[in-house]
Amino acid sequence: MKLVDELIEDKGGWVCTADCQISVGNALRLMAHANIGALVILNAGYLAGIFSERDYARKAISIPDFMLDTPVSELMTRRVYYVTPADSLDDCMSLLTNRNIRHLPVLDEGILVGIISVGDIVKQSLNDMESRIKDLEEYLWIHMI
Amino acid sequence: MTTVNDVLIEKGTPVFTATLQTSLKDALQLMAEKGVGALVVTSGDTILGIFSERDFARKTLTQPNFSLELPVETLMTAPVIYLRASQSMEECMTIMTEKHIRHLPVVEEEKLIGLISIRDVIDWLMAEKKLEIRELERFVESRPEAD
Repeated sequence: MKLVDELIEDKGGWVCTADCQISVGNALRLMAHANIGALVILNAGYLAGIFSERDYARKAISIPDFMLDTPVSELMTRRVYYVTPADSLDDCMSLLTNRNIRHLPVLDEGILVGIISVGDIVKQSLNDMESRIKDLEEYLWIHMI
Repeated sequence: MTTVNDVLIEKGTPVFTATLQTSLKDALQLMAEKGVGALVVTSGDTILGIFSERDFARKTLTQPNFSLELPVETLMTAPVIYLRASQSMEECMTIMTEKHIRHLPVVEEEKLIGLISIRDVIDWLMAEKKLEIRELERFVESRPEAD
């Protein structure tokens, strides 16, 4: 069973972040430019929230006269679920599924060291299943001779 | 071979639509209420576009006078790539991967009958692989011990 830090090592610990004072418009520009679906939002360098395409789609309508210069802190999700490098990918998957979220920041003793998305976990478990299938087929092939 | 229709029957959720003139606000409201990430934009039986959370997030910036009162038409993706119910899930997956899209409307006899999302494809694929593993394991276990 793979751990979070192994996955972070494979994909790189690059995380796109922004300060909570940034406008929604600039946050969207950043996300489009980096081709990502969520930004980790920091306040004075510490994790303050996460802002995803879904937050934008779900919450902009609840702000009267919403405009793109609204600070991202008004739309971001403040209660962030996160994982640590020693957690297993199974833990990540249940958190993503149970909380119906798509991104999990990875914190090592409070410091942001990566982000894991549903896509990363799915890719990993498909790879795992593929190699299990290959192993079984190989075993059968050897024992058929 | 699993077809798109098989998956639609299993998930059984209806597809939600908007018209060209539906405001962004109303469209997003409907998406929130139904817990979906995309609406198919139609006029009668004709599919005119698709409007997703990603369209909203990516194309907002292209509108100089952006407001939630703008019609969905301004941000939707058109023309729409769609599936026929008889197509295989493999084909569905290939289209989504190649075109980088998360939702594909399903059309039969010129009528919209459903929407397949990337989530549906992943669930299907995972179930297929699990089944394959279980069958191989059973086969391994049923073999007499070697030597």
